[in-house]
Amino acid sequence: MTAIPECLRIVIAEDAAIMRDGLTQTLTRRGHDVVAAVADADALREAVEEHEPDVAIIDVRMPPTHTDEGLRAAQAIHKDHPRVGVLVFSQYIETQSATELLAAAPAGVGYLLKDRVADVSDFIDAITRVAHGGTVLDPEVVRQLLTASRRGDTLAALTPREREVLSLLAQGRSNAAIASALFISPKVVEKHIANIFDKLGLAPDDNDNRRVIAALRYLES
Amino acid sequence: MNAWLRNHPWQADGLLAAALLAVSVSQIAAGQASPVGHAAFAVVTVLLAATVLARRRYPVAAFAVAAVIGAAQIAFGVQTGGPGPVYALQPTNADVAILVLLYTLAAYRPRPVSIAGLVICLLGSAVAIARWSPAHGAHPTGALFAAAAGLGGVTLAAWVLGDSVAYRYRRVYYASLEERAARAEAERDAQARIAAAAERAHELQDRRARAVDESAARLRRIERDLHDGAQVRLAALAMTLGEIKENLEQSPADHHTLDLVGAAHQNAKDTLAELRDLARGIHPPVLDRGLGPALGILAGTSAIPVALTVTVTERPSPAIEAMAYFCTAELLANVTKHSGAGHVMISVAEPGSGLVLTVTDDGHGGARLVPGGGLAGLLERVQTVDGRLQVDSPPGGPTIVTIELPRHA
Repeated sequence: MTAIPECLRIVIAEDAAIMRDGLTQTLTRRGHDVVAAVADADALREAVEEHEPDVAIIDVRMPPTHTDEGLRAAQAIHKDHPRVGVLVFSQYIETQSATELLAAAPAGVGYLLKDRVADVSDFIDAITRVAHGGTVLDPEVVRQLLTASRRGDTLAALTPREREVLSLLAQGRSNAAIASALFISPKVVEKHIANIFDKLGLAPDDNDNRRVIAALRYLES
Repeated sequence: MNAWLRNHPWQADGLLAAALLAVSVSQIAAGQASPVGHAAFAVVTVLLAATVLARRRYPVAAFAVAAVIGAAQIAFGVQTGGPGPVYALQPTNADVAILVLLYTLAAYRPRPVSIAGLVICLLGSAVAIARWSPAHGAHPTGALFAAAAGLGGVTLAAWVLGDSVAYRYRRVYYASLEERAARAEAERDAQARIAAAAERAHELQDRRARAVDESAARLRRIERDLHDGAQVRLAALAMTLGEIKENLEQSPADHHTLDLVGAAHQNAKDTLAELRDLARGIHPPVLDRGLGPALGILAGTSAIPVALTVTVTERPSPAIEAMAYFCTAELLANVTKHSGAGHVMISVAEPGSGLVLTVTDDGHGGARLVPGGGLAGLLERVQTVDGRLQVDSPPGGPTIVTIELPRHA
């Protein structure tokens, strides 16, 4: 973030004009190129076809039914244009939708609560990660997954620090990001992750996206 | 006596016939004709008396037989010139049977028939007297008149007596007709009232269904308005505040302003979260995608592991879906707070025309429907659409709460 900001080519799909304009202005001020800002799923598809952006930011609820048009459009775009990152943002947390979206193919996919736009730098960081093929999962989704998981007994065997690491890992953070978030060294993070995967009986995996999926599958099973 | 006679018509008529025979016995005995003539006379007398036996069942036929015998008697029994009267057809006391049968006609047959009978009898009487008098030429005019008056009077009396009985019967019959008509009308009235009440109930049901649907639709609209309006504006505001805050952090700034902006930013984020909870409490948007996904989210966020099965082929009305959702949310919250359960099972099925929602937990049981309690509140809510709620929660558990809902309000 402190380095020279990379210019991402972004498509925004959001039916509320005030949010669409606000996002466009904020991202533009941060040096990104909003190549299209549209209000519904059809226009989104066209914009993606036309611009092949680095990332598409997509509101879940859009016309005409205001239910999950955005989610379905994101899945379709992710399938047809694997190089286009999709970041879905939603007014409400729907764990099932989030994990479904990620489970299909986690590379370049994100799911965030709409409120996250308030922390501008974090939000732009998430966009960047998705644009680069990373995975982003809202902390609230992870918290709900951890709370509702039927693997409560096994999870209870984790130390509080290991739970924190698991939570960040499930959000799609890299080892370096986890290390800086928890003020510990990357080596310690690696050790924690090895312990966690050992305790949960999962095969260790260095790929950030794959280990997110492993963690999610574990929590959901 | 009267009652006995009424209840035993055959015996009564038998007695009458016997009485007629009895008064005729002296005539049979007193005759001076040949044995054959006597026998024939006896046969005619018995026949006359016997007509009385048939009077109730065949009044017209019995009268006709008696009248024919009477006419024969007038024609041949009182003959003045020629070969002389036929002994067998002499008038007899048993001729009173004719009067009895006239009475019967008047009492049990329509007026035209009985009047015809009366006319025949009066004519018969007149002819009899006319034919009788020349044979006894000595009869003075006064005696003739007396005989005519007597015979005519007795005939008329028999008819009037019968007719008055008929009149009484008719009155009773008409009264019963009137009563039946009144009863039918009352019944019709009652049926009309029942139909009106049923129609009213139907109308009220329709109106209630509309009110329930409208209220659900209104809540959905409010949620959408919040989503498209206040929530979006607030998110945009929070984003702007976040940007200002970060800008201030980047440049050496007035810390007081930075703190103020930081507080405003935090406030905006907290308000967003509160607004989201509020909107979800009004109408969870995921309900638009169906009961299955909506309950899936409830199950997914439950602190106690939930096994969820939703087998609903056709979606119920939005109001019913919302009701099922909020009932489940409340029951799940109850389980979490009070039951001490380790597992919850939620199932939604459609065994018949309606929806059955079952929430089972393996907690310590003892849940009860108490006035003012949470379950009573649920029951009240469910009853607004004629739904039902059952609680089965023995001490020691498990607790099973079953809610039945119609598909439409």
